[in-house]
Amino acid sequence: MWWKFLIYLVMTAVIVLAFITASPMNPVSSLGGPEVYRIFYFHVPQAWVATIAFLMAIFFSIRFLQTRRMDYDVKASTACRLGLLFSILATISGSIFARMTWGEFWNWSEIREVSIFVLLLIYGGYFAFRSAVSDEQTRAAFSAVLSILFGVSAVFLIFILPRIYPVFSLHPTDSIVNGRISITMSPMVAIIFGLSLVSFTALFLWIYKLSVEIFTLARYRAGER
Amino acid sequence: MLKLEAQNLAKHFGTRKVFDNINISLEAGQSLAVVGPNGSGKTTLLKVIIGLVYPSRGDVTFSKNGRKLEFEQYRKYLSLVAPYFSLYDSLTAGENLRFFAKVSGHVIKRIEQHELLQQVGLEGRGDDFVSSYSTGMKQRLKYAVAMLKRPKILLVDEPGTNLDESGKEMAANLLNRLRDDSIIIIATNDKKEYALAGEFCQLGG
Amino acid sequence: MPLPANSVNWAAKVLAVTGKDIISEFRTRFAVNAIVMFALVTLTVISFALGVLQPAAEIMAAMFWIILFFAAMSGLAQAFIKEEESGTALILKLSCDGIVIFFGKFLFNLLLLIVLAILIVPLFIVLLNTTAENWLLFIAGLVLGMIGLSGATTIIAAIVSKASIKGALFTVLSFPILMPLLAAVIEITKIAFIDGRFSDAAAPIQMLIAFDVVMITLSVMLFDFVWRH
Repeated sequence: MWWKFLIYLVMTAVIVLAFITASPMNPVSSLGGPEVYRIFYFHVPQAWVATIAFLMAIFFSIRFLQTRRMDYDVKASTACRLGLLFSILATISGSIFARMTWGEFWNWSEIREVSIFVLLLIYGGYFAFRSAVSDEQTRAAFSAVLSILFGVSAVFLIFILPRIYPVFSLHPTDSIVNGRISITMSPMVAIIFGLSLVSFTALFLWIYKLSVEIFTLARYRAGER
Repeated sequence: MLKLEAQNLAKHFGTRKVFDNINISLEAGQSLAVVGPNGSGKTTLLKVIIGLVYPSRGDVTFSKNGRKLEFEQYRKYLSLVAPYFSLYDSLTAGENLRFFAKVSGHVIKRIEQHELLQQVGLEGRGDDFVSSYSTGMKQRLKYAVAMLKRPKILLVDEPGTNLDESGKEMAANLLNRLRDDSIIIIATNDKKEYALAGEFCQLGG
Repeated sequence: MPLPANSVNWAAKVLAVTGKDIISEFRTRFAVNAIVMFALVTLTVISFALGVLQPAAEIMAAMFWIILFFAAMSGLAQAFIKEEESGTALILKLSCDGIVIFFGKFLFNLLLLIVLAILIVPLFIVLLNTTAENWLLFIAGLVLGMIGLSGATTIIAAIVSKASIKGALFTVLSFPILMPLLAAVIEITKIAFIDGRFSDAAAPIQMLIAFDVVMITLSVMLFDFVWRH
């Protein structure tokens, strides 16, 4: 129970600090000035959580196909549900950011924007499919197969495709996202960002755990096994 | 020797229980009739035995000489005749037979094809499209396709569907010919067909 | 996944499935009609809409694959849908190994696409006044693209055949999976249109080959899970 309060506390701290400290970045090319970059504290963790959710869904899908246990299907679909939520959040925050700095809400040349769009399409297709199948076992097995196919395709799209095309990236300082954190961030920024990342992840896991419990209970009530 | 065992089989859809506590043990030469009124779960039980539907509890095991067989392995020995599948309408009867034979792993010669059609009472109709067949003829063709594999286990759901008297006689002869070497399971609610099998399993009560 | 017992006859079994579908298709012409008519209509609409405009090669390459993609979406799922709807799926499952069915249907769909390409390419050139400067590259891209198109969508077609609203679902599910293929193949076609050489298109070709191999392998591994339901 205590950790719930810790999450509340840390997130509040992150939100406050995000606005009272100096802006994390100040590139010359920005239209909106340095203030806009504060969204970095929120946007990146959202995208990060969406990715984790996706990976979890694939993992549980594989486990389902190996064991045929329905609880893996509940876990996989719940991960996708939350993944969709955070993807939508990441798309919105990213789009706002894009409008503020580069002038337009959407740009197909930016590979990360394409990636998140594809992720949305994948989640959309996943749930559209699930609602079109009434038999539980069939739905679970086919969803699992789809997740794996989507996952592999997403790997092609996000990692391999950019190496082929001279796609310019509008995203600032890829060095941060690539993990070379120490180079470009000041300690204060790194701390706030780190706290945000951790608390977003913790929040996600908490919601995830609750959701899985709810769906599992719902299944028991409906008489399934 | 092919052996079929089912332990503690149960199946339910949601809260509706279809069947429970089914135990089966069959070897070549033995036959079973699953009987019960409409909706008592005969077809579901057959599908669970074949492996097309997962049981809610219990398991079905096919074994040969003590070694357990997986679906891809026992499928070769298993044939099904049932009202809920069709053969290829846009193909002729002969083409259907040749296709199913080839895809099961053996090429069927013209002579064998004629013999099979003769056995089920369809001689001379091999070059007609299945779409032009009557329902009775289609049922006879299903028996012919089932015999292609020389099945070690034959499941027949409602053996007399759409068949006239001579057709039912044909089916009975076919089953009798297989009786000694194979396992036969039939599902029926027709009392006259009970004689086709050696043992009973009552469902639905 | 265990190999079929009569491995000797494996290829013959696959061809038996493809052959059966070809004969059936020849007599009923459902899928091929859908695909060809769709492509023709799309091509006509594009041609009409463009009028006298002569867009750049990039755009024409994209147009070509839009036509092919949507035509494929309108017809490739038929291979499995017709088995479900005519009630033959069950006996097929009991007679055939999953891997045989997969390759049988894959080859059939590939054949449908080849027929489509033979019809559409000349019309495309004539109606839209485009021509490929590097024919070899264009055909290479076309062939690899069709292999990937059929290879990646065969398992989706099997999945969709058990659901409702099959047609729309097939497109919705196939698109995210095919995105890498479309990106690569449009690039190759664009280079072929403007007379690039093979070396210019080396990167997308490599990716396309990798995609084809990976997706077909993955589909084969996963196919049994779908087929056995």
